[in-house]
Amino acid sequence: MSRSTMIILKNKEISPGKLALIFSAPALFVLTVTVLIPIIYAVYLSLYRYKLKRAKKPFVGLQNYEKILTDEKFWDSLTTSLIFAVSVVGVIITVSFFLALLLDQDFPGRGWLRALLLIPWAIPDVVNALLWKWLLHPTFGVMNALFSMGGLIDEYVAWLSSMPSAMIWVVIAYSWKNIPLATLLILAGLQTVSKTLHEAAMVEGASAWQRTLNITLPLLRPTLTVVLIFETIFALKVFDLIYVLTSGGPGRSTAVLGWSIYINTFKKLDFGSGSALAMILGLITLFLAIFFYSFLDRGERQ
Amino acid sequence: MKRNKLKRYILIYLASAVFLTVFIGPFLWLVSSSFQMENQLFKVPPVWFPNPVSTESYREIFMGAIYDESYVSVYGKSSSYQARIYLRSFLNSLIIALSVSFFSVLFGAYAAYPIARMDFKGKYFLLFSILVVRLVPALALAIPIVLFAKKMGMNDRLITLIFINMSFVLPYVIWLLQAYFKTIPSELEDAGRIDGCSRFQVLNKIILPLSLPGLVTTGILAFLLSWGEFLFALLITETEKSFTSTVVAAMFATMVGDINYVTIIAAGVLAVIPPVLFALFFQKYIMSGLLSGAVKN
Repeated sequence: MSRSTMIILKNKEISPGKLALIFSAPALFVLTVTVLIPIIYAVYLSLYRYKLKRAKKPFVGLQNYEKILTDEKFWDSLTTSLIFAVSVVGVIITVSFFLALLLDQDFPGRGWLRALLLIPWAIPDVVNALLWKWLLHPTFGVMNALFSMGGLIDEYVAWLSSMPSAMIWVVIAYSWKNIPLATLLILAGLQTVSKTLHEAAMVEGASAWQRTLNITLPLLRPTLTVVLIFETIFALKVFDLIYVLTSGGPGRSTAVLGWSIYINTFKKLDFGSGSALAMILGLITLFLAIFFYSFLDRGERQ
Repeated sequence: MKRNKLKRYILIYLASAVFLTVFIGPFLWLVSSSFQMENQLFKVPPVWFPNPVSTESYREIFMGAIYDESYVSVYGKSSSYQARIYLRSFLNSLIIALSVSFFSVLFGAYAAYPIARMDFKGKYFLLFSILVVRLVPALALAIPIVLFAKKMGMNDRLITLIFINMSFVLPYVIWLLQAYFKTIPSELEDAGRIDGCSRFQVLNKIILPLSLPGLVTTGILAFLLSWGEFLFALLITETEKSFTSTVVAAMFATMVGDINYVTIIAAGVLAVIPPVLFALFFQKYIMSGLLSGAVKN
């Protein structure tokens, strides 16, 4: 078959752009209905006083946003979300880094360790919350038993009904589930760090700790930044864990933004202000993503 | 040198033991608790290994589903509403996760092919917007989607949840599959094209059969991603007709009063079985899938 026949065959076909559109039509349809239209409608809703119980749903412009931004409760839950996100990201990155360093070593049983670490990752968020609720039960929880056996507490503690222990345990429960994936990502990054640099430094007499600090860490910076971006964005969206573990309590001390959106919208049935709050959360996420991305970009160019 | 090596191994295994205890211990305790009698659960210090092994909690869930309200467990409490509907919700979760993985792989494969193999205007825009979808907080989408579903009478239906879950899973699937398609030699495709196959035929008869391992891996990931979904399940479902296992598990966990703790725990263990089995059996594929999905962007 000659080239000219191939060209003829090609000419008989529809253009690549049209073909791509036809091929991706089912996927694009799903994404349009479940993502694109809802986003547009959410923006629209956020400009109306839209309460389910009221018949009148007047246009109010940016009033919903104004109300939220002048409401102390919003700033409280934003602060709670930020405290949660910063703590969680700090714990996840630190532990994952050391765990990845361990898994990067060559030793019998490493494969097993890696495989077993997938278990927390595979557990659904709701079940993870249920698990920690059980571990932290005020009278029957194994944490109380362990801590009192170790002499750390004199009497059993209701961990989730007081601050700051409620926040600390929420952070631990969240990190526990999310460390495995972060570890795998960092491990993949570690495997690109060249062994020759390490060997050279070893000859120079650098200790393992010095090598980690001066060779591994700088070379791992792009990977760590990517993990930082993803973990921050995901931590700001937290909802399932809070719903089951603390319901925002005690008081409003673990009421993160996700929880506030849920309460405003689906308990108080104020869809207008709920949408505005969701838009604000979306914008914060977007700004963070752009900010981190430019940071990463600059780091790579240096 | 030999002593150094020994020291290194001791350090490594010590660290491994600590990490294993921290990351697997809580899970093992959950499994162990589910096989204990209720009065053993409340012992101080805790009973680490169930003795005797009790399957009462699981029996409550299974018998409760069969005999409905008439089943009374050995504690003299009748089985709770949650225990009775749990198996049904488990089945609902299976139906949802399996359908989501099947349809998202099917739709995703057709969307991924042009991205992997063809040049067209707007290709990068398409790829970019698919990735951006993953950043949108689900809560922002939840409000309009729940309103739509109610207006169209689509709430409390499994099909609605299948459709919604696909929106989270599809971007992932498209991304993984286009990477996989690129690994298939284009000579095979060219041969098919010269024989007069259209793009559609090439995809169906050459690319898809050759990509079977990639399709299966992606399908498993899609299953894992949709199995644990909670927010939309909570908002869309209203009756046991469509409750998913995560919704019932949350109902268990936030319930107050006279409850069988073992049953709650057993429900948690059951909900973990499908994803954990998948994760352990297919760990190599899952790891490579997760990594190629995340590292490249």
